[in-house]
Amino acid sequence: MDIKKVNIEGNTLEIRNLVIEYVSDDEVVKAVNNVNIIIGSGKTLGLVGETGAGKTTTALSILNLVPGPQGKIVSGEVLLEGKNVLTMSEHELEELRGDKVAMIFQDPMTSLNPVLTVGDQIAEGLEIHRKISKKEALKQAKEMLELVGIPADRAGEYPYQFSGGMKQRVVIAIALACSPDLLIADEPTTALDVTIQAQVLLLINKLKKKYHMSMLMITHDLGIVAEVCDEVSVVYAGHIIEHGTLEDIFDNLRHPYTKGLFDALPNIEARRSELKPIKGLMPDPTNLPSGCPFHPRCDYVMDVCTKVLPENKWLSDTHRVQCHLYKDTNNSML
Amino acid sequence: MEDTAKKITTKKEFFKQYKKKSRLQEIWKMFLKNKLAVIGLIIFIIIVLVAITAPLIANYDNEAIKINVPNRLKSPNSEHILGTDELGRDIFARIVHGSRISLIVGLSSVAVALFIGGAFGAIAGFFGGTVDNIIMRCMDVFLCLPDVLLALAILAAFGTNLVNMTIAIGLSFTPKFSRVVRSAVMTVRGIEYVEAARAIGATNVQIITKHILINCIGPIIVQVTLYVASAILTISSLSFIGLGIQAPIPEWGNMLASGRAFMRDHAYIVMAPGLAIFITILSLNLLGDGLRDALDPRLKQ
Amino acid sequence: MSNTLLEVKDLKKYYKVPKGMLHAVDGVSFSIEKGKTLGVVGESGCGKTTLGRAILRLVEPTSGSVIFDDIDVIKLNRKKMRDMRKDMQLIFQDPFSSLNPRKTIAQTIEEPIVLANMIPNKDERFMRVLELMKTVGLAERLINTFPHELDGGRRQRIGIARALAMNPKFIICDEPVSALDVSIQAQILNLMKKIQREMGLTYIFITHDLSVVNHFSDDIAVMYLGRLIEKAPSETLFLNPVHPYTKALLSAIPVPRIHNRPQRILLRGEITSPINPEPVCRFVNRCNYAEPICSKEEPILREIEPNHFVACHIFAK
Repeated sequence: MDIKKVNIEGNTLEIRNLVIEYVSDDEVVKAVNNVNIIIGSGKTLGLVGETGAGKTTTALSILNLVPGPQGKIVSGEVLLEGKNVLTMSEHELEELRGDKVAMIFQDPMTSLNPVLTVGDQIAEGLEIHRKISKKEALKQAKEMLELVGIPADRAGEYPYQFSGGMKQRVVIAIALACSPDLLIADEPTTALDVTIQAQVLLLINKLKKKYHMSMLMITHDLGIVAEVCDEVSVVYAGHIIEHGTLEDIFDNLRHPYTKGLFDALPNIEARRSELKPIKGLMPDPTNLPSGCPFHPRCDYVMDVCTKVLPENKWLSDTHRVQCHLYKDTNNSML
Repeated sequence: MEDTAKKITTKKEFFKQYKKKSRLQEIWKMFLKNKLAVIGLIIFIIIVLVAITAPLIANYDNEAIKINVPNRLKSPNSEHILGTDELGRDIFARIVHGSRISLIVGLSSVAVALFIGGAFGAIAGFFGGTVDNIIMRCMDVFLCLPDVLLALAILAAFGTNLVNMTIAIGLSFTPKFSRVVRSAVMTVRGIEYVEAARAIGATNVQIITKHILINCIGPIIVQVTLYVASAILTISSLSFIGLGIQAPIPEWGNMLASGRAFMRDHAYIVMAPGLAIFITILSLNLLGDGLRDALDPRLKQ
Repeated sequence: MSNTLLEVKDLKKYYKVPKGMLHAVDGVSFSIEKGKTLGVVGESGCGKTTLGRAILRLVEPTSGSVIFDDIDVIKLNRKKMRDMRKDMQLIFQDPFSSLNPRKTIAQTIEEPIVLANMIPNKDERFMRVLELMKTVGLAERLINTFPHELDGGRRQRIGIARALAMNPKFIICDEPVSALDVSIQAQILNLMKKIQREMGLTYIFITHDLSVVNHFSDDIAVMYLGRLIEKAPSETLFLNPVHPYTKALLSAIPVPRIHNRPQRILLRGEITSPINPEPVCRFVNRCNYAEPICSKEEPILREIEPNHFVACHIFAK
């Protein structure tokens, strides 16, 4: 695919034509299918999709952490500030992880080591990457705690002494301790209460600006996307079927799946008698439909959709869509 | 035109159309993938067959029991594949017949432990609280004693015959089994489908039998195989120190004991029973491990 | 004959813990009319799940009464309670752990009918299972499949079919769609609404997802630390929330819109402990409007306008 080269200078992350499969004795799971992503310096990209769409696998590939031996990177490049992560040695990768790129996961319960104090866990990355003494690292760790809204004198406490929301803040502190250039957040607030989620999202926004950090935010919640992201990529069955700025996606969406996602949301302001679900189910990743993977569920399906995978079409400098409806036009067909 | 298609109105006919995918088949398939486990299974089956057909393989009275002093301590040869022991008896015949004792006592003692320990464990695990406390503290008293010691005490007090051995070893494993069953029950008890069963009106007995126990079978089966191995070792140990099966009845443990004195020049006399014990226990352990892996739902897709 | 199907009066559930008494549900009262849906919302630790279990006596309430169809369910003995269960059912949150992995779909759906001995004839019973499967949208060919072979949405349909098997009057739905994808959530919610209309069911819908509850409920009750702090018809609650917590809760929902984004009300601090709570307003240390009286007395639930109840010293005058 010819991805439009907007401004490759200074792009924190570029994923090019990435294809990842999980191979087992009986079957092949096509997890990531020709994915292209660009995150500019200081920008936040939202990766939106439902369960099994391939978002987490894509994120893991950035740190070259796709679980082998089943997980195989079939082709493609993952360029972190120009250097291909997939060809790096284990030593180079270790330098990268925690320092240039950090990742936070969904469940704060299992992300923290229960037998180490939170201060020690934050300090760990600092000691490794900044090569400073333990005393100095601990001092900086306390500063990080204050930054995420936890009193510094709690640095000696253990994870079990914190609530879910505070644990997630500790996770954020660990991730940001070495001021990474890219933060990957995989559903970081899904396990939290709504009021705590609001606090954590605000914190993430604040820290993003302070550190001029790029971020990949993986979520299924369009509300969170509207809150923290600059650009959005919508993922379905391992394909990015639509990509654009917030305006492109929220005001000018083009792909039928994107429309389905928005329509299926219960709207607080307009109580309708029936929600509009997307008919059918997510496809089996070991047996994806021919042609466009969304065609069995699409209200706008045409004959060509069942046979041929659509090409990516650029509708503007920022907005692209992978759908046969837009072969000859840029205007909305929905 | 009349509709000649017959309307399916019975459960049987529906089931014929939509067959049940047996979970056993899936477990079997997983089990077969583990080569070591399959080897363990094959060896164990061979041992069981040998035990069952023992009289057909080697004559009990003439070869295993009859003392034939002039024939003593002969090295393995064409007539006696494993040689003869210090009293001229055919070692191979004694090993073959000894397998019967090991297996019978091994399996039945574990059965005793499973039923008694299992029942107590299930009750303790299901009801929790005071009931659990009382039962488990009683079990703890027995757990304090090393297995062999408890069995020893019973045998010393009541005499050493097969039934007593079975009961003695069975009782010594009971507390361990009660723990295994208790924790399996407690794990399952907390899972929502048990609560769902209560919500639809199942009684405690129905919940335990229909929902909890079937889901505990996995860990219990694995423990059974491992404890049978332990039991066999225990019997041999007891016989070795003279409190188990007494001469002239062949048993791997007492064969070890009586052959000890001649070990230096006639190694085969202890190697045979030693290897027999070793192979039996190894096969059971491999089998148990294989079962545990095959039954672990997390290893599935 | 009154129209009220369920009336809960001062229901309490306390747990004894090493540090003292944990007030999981602390004096909750409300009533629901036949055919209506009451949404119960709140964040973790508010007691909504325990409330659902206590109403059905899956955990035994510490005190209070639950009057279902004019009978106080709390007072029934074990056997009579089991009979009562035919009318009061529960749909669980987790479609993975709420189904016995060793039973096929048909067996799971059939079990309540078997236990209650409602249809002794084997074939008739099986026909009823098929009928239920059809109602919830499960294909016939799935009768002999096991839960692990199916996706979350289908599993949840099995849970719904199981709850409907005994023809209940009342179903408590405990976060029935939280574990499902957005597109499937909509399918299941539509299904549940349809069944409610066709069978005249009354629902309690427990959830933390405020956008979903608005769509699905007639009335909404907001819980905080075991107490009911506001209850109103859905439209009223969203248009005119009164309690400071309700306001903060509603404003915290991430809105999938980039224009006219609502102003966020941020709460200070974290939820306080439900163990040995002081007899004062539970919300006082996080409230932006707290006044001295809030730290001295516990507010009572008052009806400030028809059907709109609030427990607050400042705003429920």
